[in-house]
Amino acid sequence: MPIELTDIERLAQILERSGVDAIEIEESGQSLKLVMDTGARMAASPMLAAAAGPAADHSVIAKADVAGHFLAAHPWRDKPFVAPGQRIEAGAIVGLVKIGLLYAPVIAPAAGTVDAVIAETGAMVGYGTPIARIRPLGKISPIS
Amino acid sequence: MIEILSVTGPASVQDLGRFDQYRFGVGTSGAMDDVALRAGNILLGNDENAAGIEIPMLPFKLSFGRDRAFALTGAGVEAEIAGRSIPPWWRSYARAGDVLTIKAMSHGARCYLTVGGGIDVPIVLGSRSTQFRGEFGGLHGRPLQPGDILPCAASTATIGELGIEPADLTLARANASTDETIVRVVIAGEYDGFDGPTQALFWRSSWKITPQSNRYGYRLQGPAVKPRVPIEKRSHGIVPGVIQIPPNGQPIIQMRDAQTSGGYPKIATVIRADLWRVGQARLGGKLRFEQTAYTDALAAEAEMSAYLDRLRTNVRLVEEIRACR
Repeated sequence: MPIELTDIERLAQILERSGVDAIEIEESGQSLKLVMDTGARMAASPMLAAAAGPAADHSVIAKADVAGHFLAAHPWRDKPFVAPGQRIEAGAIVGLVKIGLLYAPVIAPAAGTVDAVIAETGAMVGYGTPIARIRPLGKISPIS
Repeated sequence: MIEILSVTGPASVQDLGRFDQYRFGVGTSGAMDDVALRAGNILLGNDENAAGIEIPMLPFKLSFGRDRAFALTGAGVEAEIAGRSIPPWWRSYARAGDVLTIKAMSHGARCYLTVGGGIDVPIVLGSRSTQFRGEFGGLHGRPLQPGDILPCAASTATIGELGIEPADLTLARANASTDETIVRVVIAGEYDGFDGPTQALFWRSSWKITPQSNRYGYRLQGPAVKPRVPIEKRSHGIVPGVIQIPPNGQPIIQMRDAQTSGGYPKIATVIRADLWRVGQARLGGKLRFEQTAYTDALAAEAEMSAYLDRLRTNVRLVEEIRACR
C-alpha cells in the first residue's frame, strides 16, 4: 500500500505530540523518513527549501548530516570555507555544524561552482538541512 | 609508516610523558600541550597516551606509507593533504602515498600530528617521548630529520572527517586577551623572600617570552624581580611549571625537558591545568601570572578532567549518530 500524503501529515502530528524527533519507515519498494523541525531557528524555512529546489535546475545541495549550529567559517579563520563563485572539488568542506564540543563538516557531494551558501552562521540546522547550492561541473554556465 | 620529507626546527615524538623515573633524575618530557595530544588521540579512538609528533616550527612535510586516519590539534595551522585543506583541530585521512604539508601557524606555538594507532617507536623507561637532554626515547632520542621513517601501530580508526572546537576557545579565561596569555600559579617555597612591592611587580608585569624559550624552559623578560637578600639554595627537586628567579631577576618557567633539580629561588609554580597554555604561548608574546589558591588549582584540574570527559562522550555520540546514517 503506497504511503499517502495524508498519512505523512498524520504521522507528523503524532511525532509532534509525542516529542519524537524522527521516524523511518521501510516497506518493499518505498521508504519514508520524517525528521521533526525541533529548533525555533531551523534554517530550513519554506523559502530556503524552495531555494534548495528540486529538479528545476541541475544544482546539487550540500546538506548537514547532524543537528547543531551552522558555522560558515572556522572560528580561527577570517574567511568562510566557501564563497559564491568558488570552484570546489567533491568532498570539499563547505561549512561546519557545531554539536557540543565538536565540528562536523558539511561536505560537497559533487565538484562544481558554489552558487550560494544557504544556511546562516549560528542558525540551528538538522539532518538534511540544505547548506550550500553547487552548480556541478559540465553543466552550461551563463557566464564564462 | 610515515616518512618525514621536510622539517624546520626541533620536531619530536612525544606521548604524555615519562612519569615513573623522576626520582632517578629522569625528567618527564612529553607533549608541551598535553590537552592537544589527548584531543587528537580521542578523535582517533587511540589510547590518550599514544605518541604523536610535536611540531614547533613550520613548514613541515611528511608522506603516509599506507591509508591512515590522522589528526592535527594544538596550534592553528594551514595544512593540506592531497590538495585538501585541513581546518584546525581536525581529523582527516590519508591514502597511501599522500603528502601532508603543514605551512603557516596562525594561533599557538605547537602543532600535534596524531595518527590512528599512534607512532610506534619503542617504549624506553615507560614512555615513547623523546628525552632531548638524555638523548633517548622517541626516534633515536633526537629531533626528527628528513628521511626518518616512523612506524605506526595498527588502527581501526573510522576515517570520516571530524573537528573539535580548539581548547583555547572552549577553555578561554574570562580576562584573556589575544596578545597576552594569562596563567594561574600558586606561590612557591621562596615567595616570602621577596618584599611586598617586588611581589606586586611580579604579579602586575606583562612578561615577554624571549627567543631563549623552548621545551627545557621559558626565559621571560621584564622588570628585575629580586629577593630582599640573595637566596642561594642547594639543588633540590623541581617540576615542570616551577618559576625560578635567577640572580638577574628575570623569571624562568621550567618546562617538559627541564632538569629534575635546581637551586634558584622559586617564586611560584604554574598549575598543571594551565601548563598547556604556556606550551602554546608564542615567542615574543606576553605572559601574565594570576595568583591562585591551592584548592582552586585542584578545582581547575577537576574542570580539565570534566572537559576531557565531555570531549570523549561527544566524540562517541557523534560517531554513533553518523554511523546510523
